[in-house]
Order: sequence, then structure tokens, then C-alpha cells
Amino acid sequence: MLVKSKPSLRHRFYLFEILTGLSITMKNFFFGRKVTIQFPEERRIYSSRFRGLHYIKAVNGVENCTACMLCPTVCPSECIHIEAGERADKEKYPVTFEIDILRCCYCGYCEEACPKDAIKLSAIYEMARLTRADGVLDKENLLVQRGKK
Amino acid sequence: MSPKCTIDGKEYEFKPGEMIIQIADRNGVAVPRFCYHPGLTIVAQCRMCAVEVEKMPKIQTACSTPAADGMVIHTGSEKVKSAQSSVMEFLLINHPLDCPICDKSGECDLQNYSFDYGAPDSRYEEQRRTYMDLDMGPVIKKNMNRCIHCTRCIRFCDEVGGFREMVALKRGNNVEITTVDGKALETDYAGNLADICPTGSLTLKDFRFRKRVWYLKKTKSVCEGCSRGCNIEIHQENGVVYRLLPRENMEINKWWICDEGRFNFHYVNAPSRIVEPSVKTAAQLETSDWSTALAEARRRISGKVLVLAGSDLTLEELRAIQKFAADRLKECALLHFGTPGHLSADDDKDEDKILRRTSKTSNLHGAEKLGLRGWKGDGSYDSALVFRGGRAALPHGLRRHVKGAIVGVGVFPREGAGDFDVVLPGLSYVEKSGTIVNWQGKEQKLQRSIEPVGLSKGIADVFAMWA
Repeated sequence: MLVKSKPSLRHRFYLFEILTGLSITMKNFFFGRKVTIQFPEERRIYSSRFRGLHYIKAVNGVENCTACMLCPTVCPSECIHIEAGERADKEKYPVTFEIDILRCCYCGYCEEACPKDAIKLSAIYEMARLTRADGVLDKENLLVQRGKK
Repeated sequence: MSPKCTIDGKEYEFKPGEMIIQIADRNGVAVPRFCYHPGLTIVAQCRMCAVEVEKMPKIQTACSTPAADGMVIHTGSEKVKSAQSSVMEFLLINHPLDCPICDKSGECDLQNYSFDYGAPDSRYEEQRRTYMDLDMGPVIKKNMNRCIHCTRCIRFCDEVGGFREMVALKRGNNVEITTVDGKALETDYAGNLADICPTGSLTLKDFRFRKRVWYLKKTKSVCEGCSRGCNIEIHQENGVVYRLLPRENMEINKWWICDEGRFNFHYVNAPSRIVEPSVKTAAQLETSDWSTALAEARRRISGKVLVLAGSDLTLEELRAIQKFAADRLKECALLHFGTPGHLSADDDKDEDKILRRTSKTSNLHGAEKLGLRGWKGDGSYDSALVFRGGRAALPHGLRRHVKGAIVGVGVFPREGAGDFDVVLPGLSYVEKSGTIVNWQGKEQKLQRSIEPVGLSKGIADVFAMWA
């Protein structure tokens, strides 16, 4: 039900109301707490559980990943592509390992599914890329250790 | 009146002499097993199929206890459960936790039963045994660390594979399953070892690390390797065939398939297969499009035409070719080709005492049924039209009998197509549905499992566009 009440004289005069509003704005402008930061120089501190850009953990330069395909299996956005192979020092290893970060929804299921503690989500959140092709991270890129998880 | 026994409160009829596990299998009662396989002798050594039989003091192995009239059997009692969980614990003592890199995981009996009957954690703290593995030949990759000594592989070689070439060396915890003196496997049926192995001890080298099994989509079909017509299951993903597995058919191949048939699918996705219409210019075949290639083929098929139909084609395709030859070609000889030296169904013999037949094409008997005769490699013709399904041996020396153009329709490898002037790409046995007739006269259905590779088209489509 719509109730209509007649505004008082003070409201109808407007000028007092405008001045009140302006004074609140000015107060916030000059004395209020700033909500923005100088981004590239200043950075916010996120939770340690923040899920950002992926990386594959490597120990002594050897990737932990054994290409078991559990992360592409569990991935809800189907953005992980792995091809498995064999080499002398490792029975099974990923020949190619690609993550399409444009498709990724950063749910972190891959990290959770990994039996070898290999795939990790770092705290890096700068995902902007110039082309779509750049959005597909290859193995070399993923082996950059972006965190200490 | 046949005898009856009771399993888990339900009464089942059985034939005298049947084991409990056979009755359970027939009626869909789940009894876990590692060493028992319906196609091999019974050894009752894994003890996993334990059941409790009333009035018997100890638990019994379902695989080796013959059912008796009035027997009351329990498959899920406390006694049975504790026995099975103990068996699982013993088996897992030495089993490495390398499921992430094991090709068997996803279809592994040990993995499944461990989930269903085993304990979630291990009490074992001592060192696990390890082995250095010897090579077992080109088909099978062995990993003895994963072995649970069910001896299915040994029994398979003794009873089915034709060579007694696998043995168990040493005893107890040190036992090692191996080939005699570490030689390569000689049997033509080695691939079956990977199928029957309940763990990842014996896996296919061909399939090694190529795909996790849970991604594969399965289609029931029939092998085109020889006139036996073994029942198979085609495993593919995204239009790529990754492996073939045998499918049980007691009248034809039982549970097995030979290696030749198992690895026959490689040409389907091979880069050497011609999958675009091709026309010969100067010396070599060049990729073209359907309308150009068809026009070229139509123009150059003239005079006395030799129509060769591969005996690897389905009945439907052969019938279409017969109709085409009768309606569209004025003067022609329609003959079949396939295996060298196999002019009629009478030439088809057993190659060994297991499955393999000498006719290396699947539908020789079907082609005979439709009234086709084999090409003897003689005569002289103005042009030739060759239909091939992918398996028939290319007719060598065809050029000597044909003055004009040779047009191929079907699956041709780039290397073998030197004689051909036009090649129209056709479908292989995993890309089409149809009927083939095996040497016993049984008609079986091929099932299409993948989309045609490249620009390949079925023979009926080619005829429809020909006009």
C-alpha cells in the first residue's frame, strides 16, 4: 500500500536540505577514510587462502606433477590440458601442461585433487593479458614458482 | 528338477557341478575375486571370494566350492567381511601407492575392491619389496611391484595363449612372476594379459600413458582383423580411437582377442591415411575437393571396368557396389579382393588353434554369400574402380592389367596408393555401421563409434554424388 505524506515546509524549501547534503559530502571528502589505494605501488593484503594464478610446484627443478590427470578430471570449467610421457628420471611426467586462465573459475578443486602436491594457486591476481592466446599458460610458465605453498 | 541353493536369502537353481561363484555371477550377486576368471582353471589362491556356507565350520572360497542342493550361502556376513578385509590388507602390504601413474587405475580390481572391502589406512610400517623389471616384449609392460600373485597370466599362457612361457619364481613374499629366463612373450595373444591382470602389473605398452580410462567412451563392435569376427569394444575420445578390448561372446571369441586385431585400429587416425579427395597430377597424389575429384573419377572410368570390392567391406556396402556396377557401368567385372591367395571362402582356414583365421578380411564369407568371386590377378581392362575398407591387402600388380585410370574409394595409406589416379576417402570399420558375416556364417553388426576422419565419406554417399 502506498502512503503519501505531504513534505514539510523545510523539505519543500530545498535549500536547507541541499546544504545539509553538501556538508556531509565535504566532510567525507576532506576528513573521511580513503577507500582507494595507489594500486601498482600500494597493494592490499589478501587472505593466505586467496586463490590466484596457478603454478606447478617444483622440487630441485623437477616438477612434482606426474600427469595423473586428476586435475583435468575434477576441473569444472575444463580448462586444464595435459599430455603424459615417459623420461629417464621420471616414469610419468607431463609433456605438455596447459591451463586456460580465461576459462578458469579459480575454484581450487585442482589443488585439492592433486595427490602429488603439484598444482597450486598463488596469491597473484593480475590476470590481464593482451591476447586470448596469452591466457593459456604453458608448462614453462606454470613452472615459475609464484608462491611458497 | 534341478537342485537349488540359497545365496543371501534368495533361492537359485543350478546345474550339478557348478561352483558357487558361477551361480552368483549368473544372478548378479557381487562376489569379489582376483584369481578366478571364467576362462581359466580354478586355483582358489587369492581367498578374496570367501563366502560363509551354513553347516561348514570355516569360510569357503566361492570359486572352488561346488554348490550342493539345499546349500545356504551368505556373501556378506561378519565372518566373510573380516576375512575379505584381512585379505585386502595383506595384498596391499606390498602394493605401491602409484595409482596416479598407473594405467590400470579407474578399471583396477584391486583399487575397486580396496575401496569396497579394504581398510582406509595401512598398519604396515616396514619396507615394501621392490623389483627390477625385465622387459616382456613389445606388447606388455611389466611392473612386478604392483603384482598380487593371482597367477591369471601364468594360467592364461598355459591354457589359452599356446606357450607355457610365464612362471612364478621363488616363494612367499619373494615370489616373482616372469617369463621363462626373462624372454619376450611369444604368444600372439599377449594383449589379453593386460585385460585379465587384476592390477596394473601387466599393462599395454601401446596404451601406456595415452589416456586415463575414465575418459574413454565405449562402443560395442566387431573386429575386422580376420574372418573370425571377434566381439570387441572400441574405446575412443574426441574421434581418436585409443584401444580395443575383447567382449565376451562364448560362441566366437570367448573372452579373448589376438594382438593383430587388438592393435589393428592404428591406421584409422594415422597421418598416413588419405582423408581428403586426392587426384594424381604429374607424379603424385594431390589434395583436392570432392566435386573435382568426383568429376575426375567419373570422367576417367570408362570402357571395360574392373570393379574390385574389398572383402573387408560390409554387406550393405557390397550390395551398393553390386547395384552401382549393374546400373551405372556398361561393361564391368565385379570381383572381390582381400587376402592374397584367398579367392573363395574355401581358402579360409584356421591359422592357429585359438582364434586367428587365414583370411585377413572380416567379410570374405559375406562377399561370397552375395555372389562375388575373387580376383585371380588376370585379365586386361580399360580402367579400374577399387573399393577398400582399410584391411584388405592392396592389389599389387593391378597396374599391369589396367590400361587407363585406377580410382580408389575407401581407406588408403599414402605409401600404398602410388598406382591410383584418384582416391576418394572412405570409412574404416570404426566409422561406419554395417553387417559382416564371419566364417561360421554368423551375421554381426559393426557399430559406428567415431565421426568420419577428415573429409571421408561412406560408399553410399559417394554413389549418391556420382550421378
